[in-house]
Amino acid sequence: MALSLEYFAKETASNLWRNRVMGLAAVLTVAVSLSLVGTSLLLRQAVNRQVSQFGANTSLAIFVNPTATTQQQADIRSTISQTPEITHCTYLDHEQSYEQAKKVLASAPAAVSVLTPATTPTVFRCQLANPADATTLMATFQQVPGVYMATSPVQSIHVLEQVTNVLQVVLIVIALLLLISSLVLILNAIRMAIFARRREVSVMKLVGATNWFIRVPFMLEGLVQGLLGSAVAVFIVLLANLGVGYLVHRYHVSVLSSTVLPAHDVLMTELIVVLVGAVVGVAGSTVAVRRFLDV
Amino acid sequence: MIRFENVSKAYKGAEGDALHDISLEILKGEFVFLVGASGSGKTTFLKLLLREEVPDSGSVYVAGRDIGQLSHWRVPQLRRNLGCIFQDFRLLPSKTVAENVAFALEVIGRPRSVIKEQVTQVLDLVGLGQKHHRMPDELSGGEQQRVAIARAFVNRPLVLLADEPTGNLDPATSQGIMKLLDRINRTGTTVVMATHDVGIVDAMRRRVIELDRGKLIRDQARGVYGYDNPSTSRGIPAVSVASVLDEGLGPATGRVAAVRARRGIR
Repeated sequence: MALSLEYFAKETASNLWRNRVMGLAAVLTVAVSLSLVGTSLLLRQAVNRQVSQFGANTSLAIFVNPTATTQQQADIRSTISQTPEITHCTYLDHEQSYEQAKKVLASAPAAVSVLTPATTPTVFRCQLANPADATTLMATFQQVPGVYMATSPVQSIHVLEQVTNVLQVVLIVIALLLLISSLVLILNAIRMAIFARRREVSVMKLVGATNWFIRVPFMLEGLVQGLLGSAVAVFIVLLANLGVGYLVHRYHVSVLSSTVLPAHDVLMTELIVVLVGAVVGVAGSTVAVRRFLDV
Repeated sequence: MIRFENVSKAYKGAEGDALHDISLEILKGEFVFLVGASGSGKTTFLKLLLREEVPDSGSVYVAGRDIGQLSHWRVPQLRRNLGCIFQDFRLLPSKTVAENVAFALEVIGRPRSVIKEQVTQVLDLVGLGQKHHRMPDELSGGEQQRVAIARAFVNRPLVLLADEPTGNLDPATSQGIMKLLDRINRTGTTVVMATHDVGIVDAMRRRVIELDRGKLIRDQARGVYGYDNPSTSRGIPAVSVASVLDEGLGPATGRVAAVRARRGIR
């Protein structure tokens, strides 16, 4: 068995080297396609995290008109407490509201400079039991006297989600097409390897080598090509994630901080990338071996 | 060792049977010539033994086993018991003599120590002990065929199949190859050799099986190439070959006769 392992390793290595040009094409296609798969998976996770962060913080912000009377303010308060969809509410006075605005607008100092605590409207930040109610509640509170504006990030989240969905579908379709072509390229690379080795194969059959013994080096070659491709893709996906992290940090876009994924999420994505690479490699070479290696 | 029972085989698109209703038995240790014109079915006969083809009807037995019934994954086991050599040697040009022979053991998973020992032994047997590190294209045709024989025999098969092994060689070199096959035969290995070489068949005086358009038309204990005509019907003198072979081969001919006699008793 030790000899067989050594034999398989030697044969696979020499096959890969002989067939390096076709192999490189296959490896690069796998790499590009898996990079797209990986990035698209990361994008999905980042958007999901961002959406849930928005949702968890404030689902509904009710800005109070600076000219509102005390009576009107009390009315707003009681309307809020009578609305069962609202689970929890905090009131930010002028000073707190100004601090909040400074944080949110950190990337736009010009906008902050025109604000003063007095001109910043006070605000009720409310959490909803179900973020889906946000649109109806926005309309309701817009009608309450003394309310300057009721907003909810739900709409922008909705747009964000839609854009991501479209983007993700596009990425997955491209990735799938590339995966199919990498499968075909691996298949073809293995077919050429089999052709280059037809003398050896015929001798092996003649002296009674088992089918698996003949097949394994070719299948390993496909597996290695798939894995090499996914190794490149793992690197690219890692770079993409680091790049997003760097940009968020560099421009202090703290709102987007949750698009930087924790290590275990990235690790899972990389594992999927490696797995898909291995599957494509093995599938391509299995088809080649079944169709072209007549044992 | 080998038994054909009413074996017929036809190829798609070909006219008539490649083999038609062949029944015969070859015993362990026999040396058999398979003769006949091109297209008479010699190669099909060998392919059926290797199970590269399966018969359309009838059965082929090797070592008591109906090889038509073998499941796909048992075929390699069958082939490990059959050595095979060809007119065109079929060596691997990128491997040395020793590597070519070792390859046959490597790919059936033999341990390295065994391989080393067996390869040295078999190369000495075929007379190429000194040339183990040469590449095939540095060797003469006869030497290449010796390497092929070493490769076929290194695993000590029960049967050695030879498809016109001297077809590419000059008469003198052919004699050397025949001596070698005879030595191998004397170790108890059954040899089945398809050939066109009149001189060799006439000189060796072994069992001759003649095929004609797929039919068995002659099975003769100590035969010659042509019908009952010792000086050959093709006009090629066998005398020179015979004189060389007679020295080394005399006793063996007697042994085969004995085998044939035993067969008669059965």
